Amino acid sequence: MSDGDGFEPTIVVFACHWCTYQAINLAGTSRMKYPPNVRVIRVMCSGRVDPQFVIEAFKNGADGVLVAGCHPGDCHYVNGNMKTMRRTVMLEKLLQDMGIEKERFRREWISAAEAKKWVEVVTEMVEQVRKLGPLKLAEKREVVMNE
Amino acid sequence: MSSEEVEMEGACPTDEIRIGVYVCHCGLNIAGVINVKEVVQYAQNLPNVVSAKEYIFMCSAPGQDLIREDIKKCKLNRVVIAACGPEMHEPTFRAVLEEAGLNPYVLEMVSIREGSSWVHYDNPEAATEKAKDMIRMAVARARNLEPLEKMRGEVKQQALVVGGGIAGLTSALDLAERGFEVHIVEKRPVLGGHAARMGQLNVEGRKIAGKDLVNYLVEKIKDNPNIHIYTNAEVSKVDGSIGNFTIKVKIKPRYVNDKCTLCNKCVEVCPVTAPNEYEYGISERKAIFLPFDGAYPSQYIIDPETCTFCGKCVEVCPENAINLDEKEKEITIEVGGIILATGHDPYEPPIGEYGYGLSPKVITLHQLKRLLSEDGPTKGELIIDGKRPKNIVFISCVGSLGTTPNANQYCSRMCCSASLIEALHIREKYPDAQVFFVHKDVRTYGKDESLYWKAIDNLVKFVRFEESPKVTVDKDEVKVEVKESTIQERLVIPADLVVLVTGMVPPKEIENLRSLFKVGCGGDGFLKEAHLKLNPVESLTGGIYLAGTATGPKSIAESIVAGSAAAAKAASLLSKDTIEVEPIVAVVDEDKCSGCGICVSICPYGAISLEKREDGTRVSKVDPMLCQGCGTCGAACPSAAIQQNSYKDKQIIPQILAVFER
Repeated sequence: MSDGDGFEPTIVVFACHWCTYQAINLAGTSRMKYPPNVRVIRVMCSGRVDPQFVIEAFKNGADGVLVAGCHPGDCHYVNGNMKTMRRTVMLEKLLQDMGIEKERFRREWISAAEAKKWVEVVTEMVEQVRKLGPLKLAEKREVVMNE
Repeated sequence: MSSEEVEMEGACPTDEIRIGVYVCHCGLNIAGVINVKEVVQYAQNLPNVVSAKEYIFMCSAPGQDLIREDIKKCKLNRVVIAACGPEMHEPTFRAVLEEAGLNPYVLEMVSIREGSSWVHYDNPEAATEKAKDMIRMAVARARNLEPLEKMRGEVKQQALVVGGGIAGLTSALDLAERGFEVHIVEKRPVLGGHAARMGQLNVEGRKIAGKDLVNYLVEKIKDNPNIHIYTNAEVSKVDGSIGNFTIKVKIKPRYVNDKCTLCNKCVEVCPVTAPNEYEYGISERKAIFLPFDGAYPSQYIIDPETCTFCGKCVEVCPENAINLDEKEKEITIEVGGIILATGHDPYEPPIGEYGYGLSPKVITLHQLKRLLSEDGPTKGELIIDGKRPKNIVFISCVGSLGTTPNANQYCSRMCCSASLIEALHIREKYPDAQVFFVHKDVRTYGKDESLYWKAIDNLVKFVRFEESPKVTVDKDEVKVEVKESTIQERLVIPADLVVLVTGMVPPKEIENLRSLFKVGCGGDGFLKEAHLKLNPVESLTGGIYLAGTATGPKSIAESIVAGSAAAAKAASLLSKDTIEVEPIVAVVDEDKCSGCGICVSICPYGAISLEKREDGTRVSKVDPMLCQGCGTCGAACPSAAIQQNSYKDKQIIPQILAVFER
C-alpha cells in the first residue's frame, strides 16, 4: 500500500453485521469516498470480538484497529455491544501499557444509517495513524525491556 | 495454475481443501474500476485455490452455471465469490452450491463492490490492491469453513398474544379466524387498552367511539372457541424458542366471578375510595369497581391494594359472586409463536411541568378525553372545578419533540389529530368557548389534514412557538405565556383550562418484557422491529412478533393494521409443521470446557446451561433452537471451548493474519 514516499497505514476493522457493516454498504451504494487503508472483518455482533483478535491484528502488522458496532441500546442481540464496551475499555488500558498509542485503537458505534459517520471515523483514524507512523512493536518491546 | 492443470494431477485426498474463486464484474460496477484480470490471476496463485474465474454477472443464470460446472469439474469443496455483499445474493449462491452437491455453508462472499470499487473509484490501483487483499482474507477464512446442517424444529400450532388492547385483539381475532388457537394475556382486569377509553375517534370524518370499536372486536372474540382470554394476568416465564415456547401465566385473583350482574350493591357499601386509574385519575372509585362503563369482562373487580377485606360486599351480593379467599393461579400454555402487543403509557408530566399537578385547571389530553366521553365521569360535560371553562388552551408536544428537559426527541404522531378532534368537539358543543392551540408544529398527517383546516374554519386559534411556553399558576389563576413565532409577539392567555397534549412513552414494564421475551429495544425505548422495511412487525428473536404501539407511537388505525400484519406473519409460521433454523449457532467442545459458567452468565438468550458429566464435573450445553448466533460466548470463553459456527477462532484469526500476508 505504501507509495514509496509516504507511509500508508493498514487499519483492521471488526464490524458487526447489523449496523456498521450495513453502514459500510450504504457508504458504497452512496458512492462516498474514504481512504482505501481499511480491511474489514465482518462478525455477526461486535460482542464476538475477542480482545485476542485485536492483539493478533497488532501483533501481525496492523497500524490501527477499529471495533465498531450498534449504538448502545440498539444491539441486534439485546446487549452484545455493552459487552464489547466493557471488554474494550479494559483492552484500551492493556494496549497503552504495551506502548500502543491510544489513537491506534478505537471503538465506535456506527448504525446502519450512519454511512457518513463511518467515512468520518475511518478518514480521521487513517489520518491520525498516518501521522503516528508505522507501529513497530518489536522496537517498543526493546525500549520497555531496557527501562 | 489453471483448473485444467489441477484436474490432470489426478485424484487427490478427500480432505484436501479445494477452493474456487469467482470474481464478478457486476457490469462495469466492479470491472470499471478494479482490474479484474489482475485480481483473478492473483487469486489463482493463492494456496488451495484450484480455480479462479471472472464473469460479467455471476448472479445471472450463465454465471451460476459457470460456478456449478466448475464445482463439479474441479471437485471444489469451498467457494469464494467476490462480488456484492452477502445481503442480496448469499441465498442465490448458497442455492448454487447446493445444486452442485456442496454444503451451502462452505461459501464466503466478499464485497469488492460496496467495499472497494464503489468507494475507491478515484483510485483504481488502490481499489485493485484492496480487492486482492479482501479475496486473500476471504480465502483464508473459507479454508476453515465447515459444512453445517440446518436444524429442524416442530411447530406448535397455537399462539400467545400479550396485551388485550386494540392491536392485540385484532391479532388474536385474525389468527383465530385462520383456525389457530390463541391465548390472550392481559395484565389489566379488562380488555380494550387505551382505545376503549379514547372517547371520540375520527374515522375519515365520521365520529366513532373507541369503546364501540373495541366492543365490535370483543363481541367476535368472546364467543370464538379458538380464543382463550386471561385478564388480570401476566406472563411470568418464557421457555423454549421459535415454534415451541412454554409459557407460564400468573392469573391474579379478581375476587368476583362471572355470576356478577353489575347490580352496584357492593359498590354502594364499599367504604374505600381511591383515584380511578382507568379514568386517568380524574374520578374516584371504590375498592370494588368496574374500571369504566362498558368494560369487558363485565364483572366487578376488587383491587387488593386498596381493599380492606371488610367483607361488606360479600354480605350484600345477591348472586354470591364474591369470594375474598380467591388465590392466584398459574397456568402453563404451549405455543409456536408470540405476538407482543404490549402498548404504551401516556407520558406523565412531572409535577410542575407546564403547571401540571399544581392546579385542577391543568390536565392531560387523556384526562380531557375521559371528561368529554359520554361514558366518562361527567357524562361528557366539560366541568372543571365545578365550572365550565371558557378559555381553553391546548399545549402540544408535551413529552415529545424535546420541548422540555424531560421530553423525548420523537414525535408521538397521533396527539395533534387526537387533540384537534377534541378542540373541534369543544367548539361545536360550547360555541362560546375560546380554544387556543399552542403548538410547536401541527402534524395532522395524511387524511387527518382535513382536521386542521376544519379547526381553522371553526375558529380554533393556532399559536406557534419555538421557545416552549410558560404556564403560571397563581392560586386560582392560570396563565399561559407564549412567544408567537410568526408575529414575534409575547402573548399572555388567561386560561380556565390548560390541556397538555401528552405523547406516548414505552410502558413501565418494558424492561421486564425485554428480559422475559429476550427482545430488543431501540434508542427510544420501544420494542425494536428486526428491520423497519424488510421485516416489519417481526422482533429480533425468532417466533416473536410485535404489534401496535409496542414498537412506537401509532394511531388506532395504524395499530389495527400492525395487529393484522403481526397475525399474518405469525400465521405463516404456525401453518408449518416444522421450521428450519440457521445453524450459525454456538457449539461446545466438551473436551476443552471446564464448566466455569462464564458463557451461561453472558448469553443474552439463556441458551446455555451447565450440565453434570458422569464424573461429576460440569459442562456447557447450548440449546441450538434458543441460540440466536451472536457469538459473544466465544469471545468470553477462557479456553476457547465454546465457538460460534462459521465464526470460530480458526475462521476469524486466519482472516486477520491474511491481511498481512501480502
